[in-house]
Amino acid sequence: MSWRDAFALARRSVYRRLGRAVLTILAVTLAAALLTSLLVLAGAARTRVLNQLSKGGPLAGIQVAAAAPNLGQLDRDSPQPGPPKPLDDVALRRIRALRGVASVIAVEQAPIVVIPPTRIPRALQAVASRKPGTIQTTMIGTELQDASKLPISIISGRLPAPNAQTEVAVTETFLQRYGIGKRDAATVVGMQLEIGSPRKYAFGNVRVRGRWTKQTIVGVVAQQAANGEVLTGASSVEAARSWTAGGEQIGDSIGPDSSPYAGLFVIAAGLDQIGPVRSRITQVGYSTSAPENLINSVQRYLHVIEIVLSGIGVIALVIAGLGITNAMLASVRERRREIGVLKAIGARDRDVRHVFLLEAGLLGLAGGLLGTVGGWGIARTLGSVVNRYLSHQGLVGVQVGMPAVVALGGIVGATVLALLAGTVPAQRAAGLPARQAMGDE
Amino acid sequence: MMAENDVAPVDVHVRGLSHVYRTPEGPITVIDGLDLDVIGPAHVAVTGPSGAGKSTLLAVLGGLDRAQEGSITVGGIDVTSLSGDDLARYRRDTVGFVFQHYGLLGTCTALENVELALSFTGGPTRLRRARALELLDAVGLSARASHRPASLSGGEAQRVAVARALANRPRLILADEPTGNLDDDSTERILELLHALPRDVGCTLITVTHNRAVADRADRRLQLRNGRLVDESAPSRKGVA
Ligand SMILES: Nc1ncnc2c1ncn2[C@@H]1O[C@H](COP(=O)(O)OP(=O)(O)O)[C@@H](O)[C@H]1O
Ligand SMILES: [Mg+2]
Repeated sequence: MSWRDAFALARRSVYRRLGRAVLTILAVTLAAALLTSLLVLAGAARTRVLNQLSKGGPLAGIQVAAAAPNLGQLDRDSPQPGPPKPLDDVALRRIRALRGVASVIAVEQAPIVVIPPTRIPRALQAVASRKPGTIQTTMIGTELQDASKLPISIISGRLPAPNAQTEVAVTETFLQRYGIGKRDAATVVGMQLEIGSPRKYAFGNVRVRGRWTKQTIVGVVAQQAANGEVLTGASSVEAARSWTAGGEQIGDSIGPDSSPYAGLFVIAAGLDQIGPVRSRITQVGYSTSAPENLINSVQRYLHVIEIVLSGIGVIALVIAGLGITNAMLASVRERRREIGVLKAIGARDRDVRHVFLLEAGLLGLAGGLLGTVGGWGIARTLGSVVNRYLSHQGLVGVQVGMPAVVALGGIVGATVLALLAGTVPAQRAAGLPARQAMGDE
Repeated sequence: MMAENDVAPVDVHVRGLSHVYRTPEGPITVIDGLDLDVIGPAHVAVTGPSGAGKSTLLAVLGGLDRAQEGSITVGGIDVTSLSGDDLARYRRDTVGFVFQHYGLLGTCTALENVELALSFTGGPTRLRRARALELLDAVGLSARASHRPASLSGGEAQRVAVARALANRPRLILADEPTGNLDDDSTERILELLHALPRDVGCTLITVTHNRAVADRADRRLQLRNGRLVDESAPSRKGVA
């Protein structure tokens, strides 16, 4: 009996007992759906993280400090920087021109004076344990379109609009001034601050004049881009800075920081470029930090997660496989006479074995196909939930795609497993005596 | 039906056949030193009370069961020496079975059931289909080719089974109570069909039955009693060795 004839017989058998086969197929479907959705999601997460690592994003970034490199700690992810060294436009241009650099985001800074409102929102009042007076601090700014590439995450509210002149975000340090934690971050959102850029005049006594603007807090962020309590767009910081620079340099108590940039964020052209770019920046003469060692661990952990998730899926498939074995054993018991008849009309043991193996394989194939489609649906659904969360966090969403390997793996895996599950019933059917054809009860 | 004798006649020789079933309650000797000689083509009926061992005899003759003791030759083939694939080939090429319960596959149509028997010999699908249709036509069922057994009457199902038994041009047809489940009209039709086979096709037919009317149609009537066959037919008739 050819495989084709055996297949035709197996197909008819599954088709005619479809009602019964459905339960078995359903188990395989669920298991295959579980396996493929887990793999798709793990893959999406992995791609997402690797994208972050390789094509910009906080993890692929090299932070350049306004400081000389500390030659003793070059192999560290976050070395102690050496002595302060101004980071100016000349340095920025040199670094931008280095080989292996994809882009450079500058973080500008300006000294500011913040006068909090005397009347604070009711919600804040309820949780605040103290109230700050006038605050001297640093305002940092960057092109906020690029914010997603910087190590900035939103705790509450949102980032200032890229070109808005009256919107700022504050950091956790600002929350501490009211004695509140991240949990109550929302209470400061919407508050208005008077922010002044100091300018010094020396007419006998030192006098300070400010350029005052009213700014609304639109969000609270956690950030490691640079030191500073207030985050806003680059243009606001530049304006503040040039006002301050118009004054006179008297001591260094309030004058403009000697470095126009608080730091740079250098994005390497690829994961493998992070190391070389770092050493080139060191040669230019600035201290860098980058999560190189972290990246390696992350990759390893991602791999472990994938192994664990596929393990869960495989366990589900094995259980489904046992279901196939069980259902087929029952089927063999029920069809003893039919098997005997097949042998009576000329089937060899192996013909019978083939028919039952193909039947199991068909159940697996059907389950694998349905499950892979279902798994893709599940992954898409979960992916859109995750994306809603990510976009809420001001982050780029993940791409949930079904890699051909996963789709093929789900289908082939379910089929192979079903074939394995079918070996015992098929062997049992093949071994039944032909005498069963006579149908002794 | 079949116009010409299309198979070579076959002789059956059984010597000293014994068959014992080992059960938890003790051994049951069903066949005990049985001898049988049939010169084909012939129609031989085997009668006997229920439990006499008629089905066991057919099973051993047809290679559904191995002979425990004794020798069986069918058309020169030493059946007792066959096993595995050789036994399967013997069942496929030399023997055609007709069962009381028809033995049709419920998942296949009448045509597919006949084709199934042809699928073990291989050959092009087109030719198989043509041959299966021809066989169904010969039993008067070409109009029912696409029906499944569930939608056939008992008599029709048994005619499909006869068509299937003839598919590989067997030289020995073994029918175990072929009319046991049929009404009188259907019985008559099946009997005519079967009885004509030795004459038209040239094969040897051994029918097991406890129905006297069925047995009377045979060239020769044997009764299975105490594990042996006793000849009950007139000595002059055809098929007696
Ligand atoms: N597989 C078996 N195991 C044990 N006893 C069996 C088996 N098959 C048949 N028998 C017994 O052998 C006897 C003969 O059975 P069988 O050949 O079917 O008789 P018949 O067809 O003449 O009615 C019966 O008593 C039956 O119970
Ligand atoms: Mg019987």
